[in-house]
Amino acid sequence: MSIGLYHCLLLAAILFAIGLYGVLSKRNIIAILMGVELMLNAVNINFVAFNRYTPVSDLTGQLMTVFAITVGVAEVAIGIALAYRIYNDRQTINVDKLDNMKG
Amino acid sequence: MSEILGTLVFYAVTVVILGTALGVVLSKNLVHSALLMTACFIGIGVLFIWLNADFLGAMEFMLYSGGVAILVVMGIMLTKRQDGAPGNPFNVRSLPALALVVLFLAIMFLVIMNSVVPAGEFISPDTVNGLADMMLNTYILPFEIAATLLLAALLGAIILAKGDGKA
Repeated sequence: MSIGLYHCLLLAAILFAIGLYGVLSKRNIIAILMGVELMLNAVNINFVAFNRYTPVSDLTGQLMTVFAITVGVAEVAIGIALAYRIYNDRQTINVDKLDNMKG
Repeated sequence: MSEILGTLVFYAVTVVILGTALGVVLSKNLVHSALLMTACFIGIGVLFIWLNADFLGAMEFMLYSGGVAILVVMGIMLTKRQDGAPGNPFNVRSLPALALVVLFLAIMFLVIMNSVVPAGEFISPDTVNGLADMMLNTYILPFEIAATLLLAALLGAIILAKGDGKA
């Protein structure tokens, strides 16, 4: 059986679910950011697979992936900077302990 | 013959991507998680090249398994609290999270298996020229907005990491 759109969509769905589990179940902010990166990449796989396996005429799906990668990289840079700042202020990046809205 | 080879490559890449992604989430050591995440991104880049998106594959290698991996490792080292391996524990809500993820997977499987997409395929002979043409003609406004976003993210990251004006 040759590989088609459904295989790529299932792979992306499973990868997204793994990333979602990491985001929801981890205690460390950096680990949560890694989960977000996995989810972003799952969405990018969907874009590229739809561009490859549906009757389209140009590369719009791949171009959207370029923009998604741009936004994702900007997001991880800001996220790491935020984690570093929170660590400097409170000496912890455990999200279970970061439940105080008043600095 | 080449179709069988392509199928084999796809399944090998799938095993690498999903195995390393599971390792990222389940590993007890945060540095191992970062290393496995890099391997996962390399697998995704190979998958992009397999899907005839060679420019995106190169971008994935450079930006994700290059840039993001180094950023994450630097973040781990800057926020390390004590000597020894940085831990990567689960929080108190890992069981409800697992239930939610299983629900999400079930819904996604149902949706994907019951949806009908038009058959066909599109293989660009030259993704670099095609992407550059679209990016600088039709999609010039999103391109400029992305440039502004990157500038804002750069300044924001510097100001956030620098501290409240005292450093």
